[in-house]
Amino acid sequence: MKVYVKLIATYQRLLPPDASGNAIEVDVPEGTTVAQVLLPYGVPLDDSSVIVLNGRMTDLNTPLSEGDTVAAFSAIAGG
Amino acid sequence: MYGWHGRLLRVDLTERTASIETIDPKICRDFIGGRGVAMYYLAKEVDPLVDPLSPENKLIFATGPLTATPAPTGNRYMVVTKSPLTGAITHSNSGGDFPTWMKRTGFDLFLFEGKADSPVYLWVNEDQVEIRPADHVWGKDVPTTTDALLAETHPEARVACIGPAGENLVLMAAIMNDKHRAAARSGVGAVMGSKLLKAVVAFGNKNPPMADEAGMRNLSVTISKEVGVDVKKGSNLREYGTAYVPQVTNTLGILPTRNFLQGTFEATSQIDGVALKNTYLIRHTPCYRCPISCGRLTEVPEGKYKGKGEGPEYETIASLGSACGVSDLAAITRANYWCNELGLDTISTGMTIAAAMEMYEKGYLTEEQIGQPLRFGDADAMIAMIQKMAYRQGFGNELAEGSYRLCRKYGHPEIAVTARKQEFPGYDPRGSQGMGLLYATSNKGASHMEGDVAYEEVFGVPVKIDPLTTEGKAALVARFQDAFALIDSSGLCVFLAVRYVFNKDVMIWPIRLTQLMNHTTGANYTPEEIMKAAERIYNLERVFILKAGSTEDTLPPRMLQEPLPDGPAKGKVVELDKMLPEFYRIRGWDEHGVPTREKLAELELLEF
Ligand code: SF4
Repeated sequence: MKVYVKLIATYQRLLPPDASGNAIEVDVPEGTTVAQVLLPYGVPLDDSSVIVLNGRMTDLNTPLSEGDTVAAFSAIAGG
Repeated sequence: MYGWHGRLLRVDLTERTASIETIDPKICRDFIGGRGVAMYYLAKEVDPLVDPLSPENKLIFATGPLTATPAPTGNRYMVVTKSPLTGAITHSNSGGDFPTWMKRTGFDLFLFEGKADSPVYLWVNEDQVEIRPADHVWGKDVPTTTDALLAETHPEARVACIGPAGENLVLMAAIMNDKHRAAARSGVGAVMGSKLLKAVVAFGNKNPPMADEAGMRNLSVTISKEVGVDVKKGSNLREYGTAYVPQVTNTLGILPTRNFLQGTFEATSQIDGVALKNTYLIRHTPCYRCPISCGRLTEVPEGKYKGKGEGPEYETIASLGSACGVSDLAAITRANYWCNELGLDTISTGMTIAAAMEMYEKGYLTEEQIGQPLRFGDADAMIAMIQKMAYRQGFGNELAEGSYRLCRKYGHPEIAVTARKQEFPGYDPRGSQGMGLLYATSNKGASHMEGDVAYEEVFGVPVKIDPLTTEGKAALVARFQDAFALIDSSGLCVFLAVRYVFNKDVMIWPIRLTQLMNHTTGANYTPEEIMKAAERIYNLERVFILKAGSTEDTLPPRMLQEPLPDGPAKGKVVELDKMLPEFYRIRGWDEHGVPTREKLAELELLEF
């Protein structure tokens, strides 16, 4: 199934070099979770990142559905 | 005294005299500094019912104990006065260099009263204080005024001044310092203009001694190093300035778009920090002694929006960009320069134009009334309106009153998106419930800077919480409001202070900030005492605004009744009535939001 990964601001550079803009479409097997889809890009999966599923709070173990967008950005405050 | 000079410069503009007064050390301790001590003086000396633009109102510039110390980002001052936009209290914060220079004159506060009979400016070079004529710069924009006054005072001095907008009593006029930094909100520039005070120029080398200079230096170095490590890891603020935020708020569906008719903007990628970096950014610029350096020096090199200056910041992109439906980054950047040069708050300016655009699109305002079409997305019309606003020319005279008064006058109050008559900043509270409670209850009206719970709801600092729920938001907002009163009074920049005020485990436990304060002042605050002082400041402001008649803690109908039509927060309104009673209870206020006698006694505020 197709889902989207959107990496914002400093995280944008974690996307493959051929990505245009801050989002890419990826093909993943059914049952892939939020955490799993982010794994290849090296997004820190702890409190130093904000990770949302379709713009909403999510558990990292939530399985994705076709067309979902997972977005992430750095949560480091004040610098 | 340590940390505080304990000195106030009182400037009577009517008499054209200046006098030096001692500030009671107990007042410094109990009200911290900056916003707090200034509020104490305002509450003591100004009738809450005074006309904000009359000589009886007072205008206070206030530095904090950490201003001009080695503490990183200790570079802020606050402007405190009764606001002509809201009719309530306002406190507007700015950084850059000027606040540090002001503190080095040997005064904590400049207090302006009365009204000059012709334009003047204040020149303070330590104890040499002059009230000089300013007729030659009256009518001039901010950069021209700044350069002219530096040439006739001291080349190494720093200037805070108003532009034409302040002179013309535009209700969202800012006080600009160092040309590009703004004490922007609630019309502080109009109060300055009403006193015919064009500028304040400061220079000096006097710093109060610190109680523990070595301790202060060590802690400041530690903090700088910690920030440095994060900046190296990759800092959104350093790399993109606050301009990285549109992508975040758009993703969450809370980016004000077309006067809050929508929460997502289709052209976000064209107007965000990445686009800015790839186009007009020259370099990042810091306020004095800031390791973060979130300012942006930019230039639009050619075309009809050609210009050079600073910005745009996130709030400006939201107000002059998405809220007006404008997707041309060059136009937004040039519009930002215009606001800086003319001395306008970009938030209220953009949001007011956005409201007028909606009125025009709906046929509530005509081309004849405005003098031209004013559609969403029309960048040239937006820029034309900015220029007219600053001079109150034509329809600009209506816009200069802000969206609350404009929409009422033309029969459609429901279009104005304001709280306490002040325009919303760039977070649609329908998708950020805590921000809704914050806007509704803040002493200065809709503002993110009076307790920015977006840190948790949006940015995950120190923890990410669900922005769409109301549970726990009453306590969160109350604590953040107090914490921001502390930060604003200390003299630190919020962007640094948040990491030392909020803590994952104990939500607010300002240990580091308390240490900085104690090294500086020797006041030996405990974190509990310092938070109590912050709560005292917040409640004193509340007492003042209630007496001023600003009693309604509410939001406009669009927020309470019109669900967001798009994005992740689709279908949501602000559930204010679920949060407000609990908020009053947590605050120790009665069911009408009035601080109880017990609360005032606990905070030693019964005399007010
Ligand atoms: S973080 Fe930004 S606004 Fe704050 S002091 Fe540094 S440069 Fe100025």
